[in-house]
Amino acid sequence: MTSAKLPIDSARFVQPPASPLVEATLDLVKQAVRGRLAESGMAWEDFAMGGSDSLVTAEDMIAVEAAILASGHRFDWSASISAAERPEAHKPAEGVSDDGAGFAHPDAPSGEPDAQGRALRGVGDNVVRHKADAVGTALYVRSNERVLGLLTNGVPPGTIAIIDDSGGTLTAPIIDQFAGVICAGGTVRSHLGILTREYNIPCVMNAKVAGIREGDRVVIEATAEAKTTEDYQQGIERTARVWVMAEAG
Amino acid sequence: MGAEVMDRRDLVLHAAAIKRHAPAEAIAALAGLALDQAQAQLDALVATGRAMEAKGAYALTPLAGVALQARYAGHFAGLREVGAFHGAYEGFERINNTLKQIITDWQTMTVGGQKVANDHSDKAHDAAVIDRLGALHEQAEPILAKLAAGLPRLKYYGDKLLAALEKAEDGDAEWVSDIRRDSYHTVWFELHEELLRIMGRERQE
Repeated sequence: MTSAKLPIDSARFVQPPASPLVEATLDLVKQAVRGRLAESGMAWEDFAMGGSDSLVTAEDMIAVEAAILASGHRFDWSASISAAERPEAHKPAEGVSDDGAGFAHPDAPSGEPDAQGRALRGVGDNVVRHKADAVGTALYVRSNERVLGLLTNGVPPGTIAIIDDSGGTLTAPIIDQFAGVICAGGTVRSHLGILTREYNIPCVMNAKVAGIREGDRVVIEATAEAKTTEDYQQGIERTARVWVMAEAG
Repeated sequence: MGAEVMDRRDLVLHAAAIKRHAPAEAIAALAGLALDQAQAQLDALVATGRAMEAKGAYALTPLAGVALQARYAGHFAGLREVGAFHGAYEGFERINNTLKQIITDWQTMTVGGQKVANDHSDKAHDAAVIDRLGALHEQAEPILAKLAAGLPRLKYYGDKLLAALEKAEDGDAEWVSDIRRDSYHTVWFELHEELLRIMGRERQE
Protein backbone atom coordinates (compact mmCIF):
# COMPACT_ATOMS: atom_id res chain seq x y z
CA MET A 1 0.00 0.00 0.00
CA THR A 2 1.35 3.38 -0.96
CA SER A 3 1.25 6.37 1.31
CA ALA A 4 2.44 9.95 1.13
CA LYS A 5 3.37 12.55 3.69
CA LEU A 6 0.93 15.38 4.23
CA PRO A 7 1.99 18.92 5.16
CA ILE A 8 0.12 18.54 8.44
CA ASP A 9 2.47 15.69 9.40
CA SER A 10 5.23 18.25 9.87
CA ALA A 11 3.15 20.49 12.11
CA ARG A 12 4.82 20.59 15.52
CA PHE A 13 3.26 21.05 18.95
CA VAL A 14 -0.20 20.06 17.79
CA GLN A 15 -2.20 18.59 20.65
CA PRO A 16 -4.29 15.51 19.85
CA PRO A 17 -8.00 16.22 19.45
CA ALA A 18 -9.96 16.34 22.69
CA SER A 19 -12.37 13.61 21.68
CA PRO A 20 -11.42 10.03 20.75
CA LEU A 21 -14.08 10.02 18.02
CA VAL A 22 -12.65 13.19 16.45
CA GLU A 23 -9.14 11.75 16.57
CA ALA A 24 -10.22 8.49 14.95
CA THR A 25 -12.18 10.29 12.24
CA LEU A 26 -9.37 12.72 11.50
CA ASP A 27 -6.73 10.00 11.28
CA LEU A 28 -8.91 7.81 9.07
CA VAL A 29 -9.56 10.74 6.72
CA LYS A 30 -5.84 11.55 6.64
CA GLN A 31 -5.09 7.91 5.89
CA ALA A 32 -7.49 7.97 2.94
CA VAL A 33 -5.99 11.24 1.67
CA ARG A 34 -2.44 9.91 2.04
CA GLY A 35 -3.29 6.91 -0.11
CA ARG A 36 -5.05 8.96 -2.80
CA LEU A 37 -2.27 11.55 -2.89
CA ALA A 38 0.34 8.84 -3.33
CA GLU A 39 -1.70 7.15 -6.08
CA SER A 40 -2.13 10.42 -7.96
CA GLY A 41 1.59 11.13 -8.08
CA MET A 42 0.69 14.83 -7.85
CA ALA A 43 2.40 17.49 -5.78
CA TRP A 44 0.38 18.39 -2.67
CA GLU A 45 -0.53 21.83 -4.00
CA ASP A 46 -1.90 20.45 -7.25
CA PHE A 47 -3.72 17.66 -5.44
CA ALA A 48 -5.27 19.96 -2.87
CA MET A 49 -6.27 22.68 -5.35
CA GLY A 50 -7.21 20.47 -8.30
CA GLY A 51 -7.44 16.74 -7.84
CA SER A 52 -8.70 16.03 -4.38
CA ASP A 53 -12.39 16.74 -5.02
CA SER A 54 -12.61 13.88 -7.48
CA LEU A 55 -9.73 11.70 -6.28
CA VAL A 56 -10.95 11.44 -2.69
CA THR A 57 -14.27 9.66 -3.15
CA ALA A 58 -17.53 9.26 -1.30
CA GLU A 59 -16.59 5.59 -0.86
CA ASP A 60 -13.45 6.68 0.99
CA MET A 61 -15.61 8.55 3.49
CA ILE A 62 -18.07 5.65 3.81
CA ALA A 63 -15.04 3.49 4.62
CA VAL A 64 -14.12 5.93 7.40
CA GLU A 65 -17.48 5.37 9.05
CA ALA A 66 -17.25 1.62 8.46
CA ALA A 67 -13.87 1.47 10.22
CA ILE A 68 -15.31 3.29 13.23
CA LEU A 69 -18.31 0.96 13.38
CA ALA A 70 -16.08 -2.11 12.94
CA SER A 71 -14.30 -1.18 16.16
CA GLY A 72 -17.59 -1.68 17.97
CA HIS A 73 -18.21 2.05 18.39
CA ARG A 74 -21.83 3.10 18.09
CA PHE A 75 -22.83 6.71 17.63
CA ASP A 76 -24.90 8.56 20.18
CA TRP A 77 -28.26 9.73 18.90
CA SER A 78 -30.36 12.72 19.82
CA ALA A 79 -33.58 11.54 18.17
CA SER A 80 -34.68 7.92 18.52
CA ILE A 81 -35.45 7.80 14.77
CA SER A 82 -31.67 7.57 14.20
CA ALA A 83 -31.41 4.35 16.19
CA ALA A 84 -34.56 3.02 14.51
CA GLU A 85 -33.39 3.78 10.96
CA ARG A 86 -29.77 2.70 11.32
CA PRO A 87 -29.58 0.39 14.33
CA GLU A 88 -26.19 -0.90 13.14
CA ALA A 89 -24.61 2.55 13.52
CA HIS A 90 -26.15 3.78 16.77
CA LYS A 91 -26.22 2.92 20.41
CA PRO A 92 -29.22 0.67 21.03
CA ALA A 93 -32.26 1.82 22.91
CA GLU A 94 -32.44 0.63 26.52
CA GLY A 95 -32.87 -3.07 27.11
CA VAL A 96 -31.71 -4.31 23.71
CA SER A 97 -29.02 -6.97 23.95
CA ASP A 98 -27.04 -8.92 21.39
CA ASP A 99 -29.31 -11.76 20.35
CA GLY A 100 -26.81 -13.26 17.98
CA ALA A 101 -28.58 -11.96 14.90
CA GLY A 102 -26.03 -11.94 12.14
CA PHE A 103 -24.27 -14.88 13.75
CA ALA A 104 -26.29 -17.58 12.06
CA HIS A 105 -24.20 -19.88 9.87
CA PRO A 106 -26.20 -21.16 6.87
CA ASP A 107 -24.66 -24.65 7.16
CA ALA A 108 -25.22 -25.01 10.91
CA PRO A 109 -26.98 -28.31 11.67
CA SER A 110 -29.90 -28.13 14.07
CA GLY A 111 -32.21 -30.57 15.76
CA GLU A 112 -35.05 -31.09 18.19
CA PRO A 113 -34.23 -31.68 21.88
CA ASP A 114 -32.92 -35.20 22.55
CA ALA A 115 -33.65 -37.37 25.60
CA GLN A 116 -31.34 -35.17 27.68
CA GLY A 117 -33.08 -32.01 26.53
CA ARG A 118 -30.21 -30.98 24.27
CA ALA A 119 -31.15 -29.38 20.96
CA LEU A 120 -28.38 -29.34 18.34
CA ARG A 121 -27.41 -25.82 17.32
CA GLY A 122 -24.16 -26.39 15.47
CA VAL A 123 -20.72 -27.97 15.20
CA GLY A 124 -17.09 -26.88 15.49
CA ASP A 125 -13.52 -28.21 15.49
CA ASN A 126 -12.51 -29.34 18.99
CA VAL A 127 -9.06 -27.95 19.85
CA VAL A 128 -8.28 -30.67 22.39
CA ARG A 129 -10.23 -33.52 23.94
CA HIS A 130 -11.47 -32.94 27.50
CA LYS A 131 -12.79 -35.39 30.07
CA ALA A 132 -16.21 -33.72 30.25
CA ASP A 133 -18.42 -31.60 28.04
CA ALA A 134 -18.58 -27.91 28.87
CA VAL A 135 -21.87 -26.43 30.03
CA GLY A 136 -22.46 -22.72 30.51
CA THR A 137 -24.35 -19.58 29.66
CA ALA A 138 -24.00 -18.13 26.16
CA LEU A 139 -22.53 -14.64 25.91
CA TYR A 140 -21.69 -12.96 22.61
CA VAL A 141 -18.34 -11.17 22.89
CA ARG A 142 -17.91 -9.28 19.66
CA SER A 143 -17.15 -5.67 20.56
CA ASN A 144 -14.35 -3.95 22.36
CA GLU A 145 -16.89 -2.20 24.56
CA ARG A 146 -18.19 -5.51 25.78
CA VAL A 147 -14.64 -6.75 26.43
CA LEU A 148 -13.83 -3.57 28.35
CA GLY A 149 -17.01 -3.98 30.39
CA LEU A 150 -16.07 -7.58 31.22
CA LEU A 151 -12.54 -6.47 32.10
CA THR A 152 -13.90 -3.96 34.56
CA ASN A 153 -16.74 -5.95 36.06
CA GLY A 154 -15.38 -9.48 35.61
CA VAL A 155 -16.82 -12.29 33.53
CA PRO A 156 -19.85 -13.98 35.16
CA PRO A 157 -18.95 -17.53 36.29
CA GLY A 158 -19.93 -20.24 33.82
CA THR A 159 -19.84 -18.03 30.75
CA ILE A 160 -19.42 -19.63 27.33
CA ALA A 161 -18.19 -16.95 24.98
CA ILE A 162 -19.35 -16.90 21.37
CA ILE A 163 -16.85 -14.94 19.30
CA ASP A 164 -15.75 -14.46 15.72
CA ASP A 165 -12.16 -13.40 16.29
CA SER A 166 -9.84 -16.39 15.85
CA GLY A 167 -6.74 -14.33 16.58
CA GLY A 168 -8.07 -13.70 20.06
CA THR A 169 -7.16 -10.06 19.54
CA LEU A 170 -10.26 -8.82 21.27
CA THR A 171 -10.73 -11.43 23.96
CA ALA A 172 -7.18 -12.27 25.06
CA PRO A 173 -7.31 -10.17 28.26
CA ILE A 174 -10.33 -12.09 29.59
CA ILE A 175 -10.01 -15.47 27.88
CA ASP A 176 -8.98 -17.26 31.08
CA GLN A 177 -12.28 -16.32 32.72
CA PHE A 178 -14.46 -18.19 30.22
CA ALA A 179 -15.89 -21.65 30.92
CA GLY A 180 -15.82 -22.36 27.20
CA VAL A 181 -15.35 -20.69 23.83
CA ILE A 182 -17.21 -21.08 20.54
CA CYS A 183 -15.29 -19.34 17.76
CA ALA A 184 -16.78 -18.87 14.31
CA GLY A 185 -13.42 -18.67 12.54
CA GLY A 186 -9.95 -20.13 12.44
CA THR A 187 -8.63 -23.63 12.99
CA VAL A 188 -7.39 -25.59 16.01
CA ARG A 189 -3.91 -24.19 15.29
CA SER A 190 -5.07 -20.57 15.43
CA HIS A 191 -3.77 -18.34 18.13
CA LEU A 192 -7.07 -18.61 19.98
CA GLY A 193 -6.79 -22.41 19.89
CA ILE A 194 -3.32 -22.14 21.42
CA LEU A 195 -4.59 -19.73 24.10
CA THR A 196 -7.52 -21.91 25.13
CA ARG A 197 -5.40 -25.06 25.23
CA GLU A 198 -2.94 -23.22 27.41
CA TYR A 199 -5.70 -22.29 29.85
CA ASN A 200 -7.34 -25.71 29.54
CA ILE A 201 -10.60 -24.10 28.43
CA PRO A 202 -12.91 -26.14 26.18
CA CYS A 203 -13.04 -24.50 22.75
CA VAL A 204 -14.37 -25.22 19.30
CA MET A 205 -12.98 -23.32 16.30
CA ASN A 206 -14.40 -22.89 12.80
CA ALA A 207 -17.83 -23.21 14.45
CA LYS A 208 -20.98 -23.27 12.38
CA VAL A 209 -23.74 -22.36 14.81
CA ALA A 210 -27.16 -20.75 14.52
CA GLY A 211 -30.07 -20.06 16.80
CA ILE A 212 -28.19 -19.48 20.03
CA ARG A 213 -29.53 -16.55 22.03
CA GLU A 214 -27.60 -14.70 24.65
CA GLY A 215 -28.31 -16.26 28.04
CA ASP A 216 -29.10 -19.69 26.57
CA ARG A 217 -27.71 -22.66 28.46
CA VAL A 218 -25.26 -24.21 25.96
CA VAL A 219 -23.22 -27.40 25.89
CA ILE A 220 -19.95 -27.87 23.98
CA GLU A 221 -19.10 -31.48 23.21
CA ALA A 222 -15.55 -31.09 24.53
CA THR A 223 -15.26 -34.87 24.88
CA ALA A 224 -15.32 -35.24 21.09
CA GLU A 225 -12.14 -36.18 19.24
CA ALA A 226 -9.85 -33.23 18.63
CA LYS A 227 -9.37 -32.10 15.04
CA THR A 228 -5.79 -32.61 13.87
CA THR A 229 -3.56 -30.89 11.34
CA GLU A 230 -3.77 -34.05 9.22
CA ASP A 231 -7.58 -33.83 9.28
CA TYR A 232 -7.40 -30.36 7.75
CA GLN A 233 -4.83 -31.45 5.16
CA GLN A 234 -6.85 -34.51 4.16
CA GLY A 235 -10.22 -32.78 4.36
CA ILE A 236 -11.50 -35.14 7.05
CA GLU A 237 -14.69 -34.02 8.80
CA ARG A 238 -14.26 -34.36 12.55
CA THR A 239 -16.49 -32.13 14.60
CA ALA A 240 -17.74 -31.52 18.10
CA ARG A 241 -21.40 -30.65 18.58
CA VAL A 242 -22.89 -27.59 20.24
CA TRP A 243 -26.29 -27.88 21.88
CA VAL A 244 -28.75 -25.57 23.59
CA MET A 245 -30.52 -26.99 26.64
CA ALA A 246 -34.28 -26.84 26.39
CA GLU A 247 -35.75 -24.51 28.99
CA ALA A 248 -36.99 -26.36 32.03
CA GLY A 249 -40.74 -26.69 31.75
CA MET B 1 16.99 4.13 7.98
CA GLY B 2 16.45 2.97 11.49
CA ALA B 3 15.16 6.01 13.34
CA GLU B 4 12.07 5.60 15.50
CA VAL B 5 9.21 7.28 13.69
CA MET B 6 6.62 7.42 16.43
CA ASP B 7 6.43 10.05 19.14
CA ARG B 8 6.15 9.05 22.79
CA ARG B 9 2.35 9.10 22.81
CA ASP B 10 2.11 6.80 19.80
CA LEU B 11 4.82 4.50 21.15
CA VAL B 12 2.78 4.02 24.31
CA LEU B 13 -0.48 3.56 22.38
CA HIS B 14 1.28 1.08 20.09
CA ALA B 15 2.84 -0.92 22.94
CA ALA B 16 -0.46 -0.97 24.83
CA ALA B 17 -2.24 -2.21 21.70
CA ILE B 18 0.25 -5.06 21.27
CA LYS B 19 0.18 -5.96 24.98
CA ARG B 20 -3.62 -5.56 24.99
CA HIS B 21 -4.04 -5.57 28.76
CA ALA B 22 -0.82 -5.07 30.63
CA PRO B 23 0.75 -3.13 33.50
CA ALA B 24 2.68 0.08 32.84
CA GLU B 25 6.06 -1.67 33.31
CA ALA B 26 5.41 -4.09 30.46
CA ILE B 27 4.13 -1.32 28.18
CA ALA B 28 7.17 0.85 28.93
CA ALA B 29 9.55 -2.04 28.20
CA LEU B 30 7.98 -2.80 24.85
CA ALA B 31 7.84 0.89 23.92
CA GLY B 32 11.47 1.35 24.88
CA LEU B 33 10.63 4.15 27.33
CA ALA B 34 11.43 4.79 30.96
CA LEU B 35 8.61 3.81 33.29
CA ASP B 36 7.86 7.39 34.35
CA GLN B 37 7.69 8.52 30.71
CA ALA B 38 5.28 5.72 29.83
CA GLN B 39 3.25 6.25 33.00
CA ALA B 40 2.77 9.95 32.23
CA GLN B 41 1.49 9.06 28.77
CA LEU B 42 -0.81 6.35 30.14
CA ASP B 43 -2.25 8.74 32.71
CA ALA B 44 -3.03 11.24 29.96
CA LEU B 45 -4.54 8.52 27.76
CA VAL B 46 -6.83 7.36 30.56
CA ALA B 47 -7.83 10.96 31.37
CA THR B 48 -8.81 11.61 27.74
CA GLY B 49 -10.71 8.37 27.11
CA ARG B 50 -8.01 6.71 24.99
CA ALA B 51 -7.25 3.95 27.46
CA MET B 52 -8.79 2.38 30.50
CA GLU B 53 -7.17 0.88 33.53
CA ALA B 54 -8.56 -2.22 35.23
CA LYS B 55 -6.79 -4.19 37.95
CA GLY B 56 -3.52 -2.34 37.41
CA ALA B 57 -3.40 -3.10 33.70
CA TYR B 58 -4.13 -0.85 30.74
CA ALA B 59 -6.15 -1.46 27.59
CA LEU B 60 -6.88 0.90 24.71
CA THR B 61 -10.43 2.00 24.05
CA PRO B 62 -11.79 1.01 20.63
CA LEU B 63 -11.53 4.41 18.96
CA ALA B 64 -7.98 4.97 20.19
CA GLY B 65 -7.09 1.70 18.50
CA VAL B 66 -8.74 2.78 15.25
CA ALA B 67 -6.93 6.15 15.24
CA LEU B 68 -3.58 4.49 15.92
CA GLN B 69 -4.14 1.97 13.16
CA ALA B 70 -4.94 4.78 10.73
CA ARG B 71 -1.64 6.51 11.54
CA TYR B 72 0.55 3.49 10.77
CA ALA B 73 0.62 4.12 7.02
CA GLY B 74 2.07 7.55 7.73
CA HIS B 75 4.60 6.21 10.23
CA PHE B 76 5.77 3.14 8.36
CA ALA B 77 5.43 3.98 4.65
CA GLY B 78 9.22 4.28 4.42
CA LEU B 79 9.97 1.07 6.29
CA ARG B 80 7.44 -0.91 4.22
CA GLU B 81 9.42 -0.09 1.10
CA VAL B 82 12.80 -1.17 2.47
CA GLY B 83 13.48 -4.44 0.64
CA ALA B 84 15.53 -6.07 3.39
CA PHE B 85 12.87 -5.31 5.99
CA HIS B 86 10.05 -6.51 3.75
CA GLY B 87 11.97 -9.71 3.01
CA ALA B 88 12.56 -10.30 6.71
CA TYR B 89 8.86 -9.85 7.39
CA GLU B 90 8.00 -12.43 4.75
CA GLY B 91 10.59 -14.78 6.25
CA PHE B 92 8.89 -14.37 9.61
CA GLU B 93 5.48 -15.22 8.13
CA ARG B 94 6.96 -18.36 6.55
CA ILE B 95 8.35 -19.77 9.79
CA ASN B 96 5.34 -18.57 11.81
CA ASN B 97 3.37 -21.62 10.62
CA THR B 98 6.15 -23.90 11.87
CA LEU B 99 6.14 -22.13 15.22
CA LYS B 100 2.38 -22.56 15.59
CA GLN B 101 2.72 -26.28 14.82
CA ILE B 102 5.54 -26.63 17.38
CA ILE B 103 3.46 -24.91 20.08
CA THR B 104 0.43 -27.04 19.24
CA ASP B 105 2.61 -30.17 19.53
CA TRP B 106 3.95 -28.86 22.82
CA GLN B 107 0.44 -28.52 24.20
CA THR B 108 -0.82 -31.89 23.04
CA MET B 109 0.25 -35.52 23.19
CA THR B 110 -1.10 -38.60 21.49
CA VAL B 111 -2.60 -41.23 23.78
CA GLY B 112 -4.26 -44.23 22.18
CA GLY B 113 -4.44 -42.43 18.85
CA GLN B 114 -6.13 -39.41 20.46
CA LYS B 115 -4.83 -35.88 20.78
CA VAL B 116 -5.17 -34.92 24.43
CA ALA B 117 -3.71 -32.14 26.56
CA ASN B 118 0.00 -32.67 27.22
CA ASP B 119 0.47 -33.44 30.90
CA HIS B 120 4.25 -33.26 30.34
CA SER B 121 4.75 -36.79 31.68
CA ASP B 122 6.60 -37.86 28.51
CA LYS B 123 9.99 -36.20 28.90
CA ALA B 124 11.21 -37.49 25.54
CA HIS B 125 8.26 -35.87 23.74
CA ASP B 126 8.86 -32.57 25.53
CA ALA B 127 12.61 -32.63 24.86
CA ALA B 128 12.00 -33.31 21.16
CA VAL B 129 9.62 -30.35 20.89
CA ILE B 130 12.07 -28.02 22.66
CA ASP B 131 14.78 -29.19 20.23
CA ARG B 132 12.51 -28.22 17.35
CA LEU B 133 11.94 -24.84 19.01
CA GLY B 134 15.72 -24.35 19.24
CA ALA B 135 16.10 -25.22 15.55
CA LEU B 136 13.33 -22.77 14.66
CA HIS B 137 15.06 -20.05 16.67
CA GLU B 138 18.23 -20.57 14.62
CA GLN B 139 16.15 -19.93 11.51
CA ALA B 140 14.60 -16.89 13.16
CA GLU B 141 17.86 -15.24 14.23
CA PRO B 142 18.89 -13.75 10.86
CA ILE B 143 15.30 -12.56 10.37
CA LEU B 144 15.26 -10.91 13.80
CA ALA B 145 18.60 -9.24 13.03
CA LYS B 146 17.29 -7.77 9.77
CA LEU B 147 14.13 -6.52 11.46
CA ALA B 148 16.16 -4.78 14.17
CA ALA B 149 18.45 -3.30 11.52
CA GLY B 150 15.39 -1.66 9.96
CA LEU B 151 13.90 -0.53 13.28
CA PRO B 152 16.22 -0.76 16.33
CA ARG B 153 13.32 -0.90 18.80
CA LEU B 154 12.56 -4.41 17.50
CA LYS B 155 15.71 -5.77 19.17
CA TYR B 156 13.45 -6.09 22.24
CA TYR B 157 11.79 -9.15 20.69
CA GLY B 158 15.00 -10.98 19.76
CA ASP B 159 16.36 -10.52 23.28
CA LYS B 160 13.11 -11.71 24.88
CA LEU B 161 12.82 -14.74 22.58
CA LEU B 162 16.36 -15.84 23.30
CA ALA B 163 15.86 -15.42 27.05
CA ALA B 164 12.68 -17.53 26.96
CA LEU B 165 14.33 -20.24 24.84
CA GLU B 166 17.32 -20.48 27.15
CA LYS B 167 15.09 -20.88 30.20
CA ALA B 168 13.03 -23.56 28.44
CA GLU B 169 16.19 -25.42 27.40
CA ASP B 170 17.43 -25.23 31.00
CA GLY B 171 14.37 -27.19 32.04
CA ASP B 172 11.81 -24.55 32.98
CA ALA B 173 9.06 -25.70 30.63
CA GLU B 174 6.72 -22.84 31.47
CA TRP B 175 8.83 -20.58 29.24
CA VAL B 176 7.63 -22.32 26.08
CA SER B 177 4.05 -21.14 25.96
CA ASP B 178 2.77 -19.91 29.33
CA ILE B 179 0.52 -16.93 28.71
CA ARG B 180 1.10 -15.25 32.04
CA ARG B 181 4.77 -14.58 31.34
CA ASP B 182 6.99 -13.52 28.44
CA SER B 183 7.26 -17.09 27.20
CA TYR B 184 8.58 -17.88 23.73
CA HIS B 185 5.08 -18.03 22.32
CA THR B 186 3.92 -14.87 24.11
CA VAL B 187 6.81 -12.84 22.68
CA TRP B 188 6.52 -14.44 19.25
CA PHE B 189 2.83 -13.58 19.10
CA GLU B 190 3.56 -9.99 20.12
CA LEU B 191 6.25 -9.71 17.44
CA HIS B 192 3.78 -11.00 14.87
CA GLU B 193 1.28 -8.39 16.00
CA GLU B 194 3.98 -5.70 15.80
CA LEU B 195 4.93 -6.71 12.26
CA LEU B 196 1.34 -6.87 11.04
CA ARG B 197 0.87 -3.32 12.31
CA ILE B 198 4.10 -2.07 10.74
CA MET B 199 3.32 -3.70 7.39
CA GLY B 200 -0.38 -2.81 7.39
CA ARG B 201 -1.52 -6.43 7.14
CA GLU B 202 -4.34 -8.40 8.71
CA ARG B 203 -3.86 -11.51 10.78
CA GLN B 204 -4.88 -14.60 8.81
CA GLU B 205 -5.99 -16.72 11.74
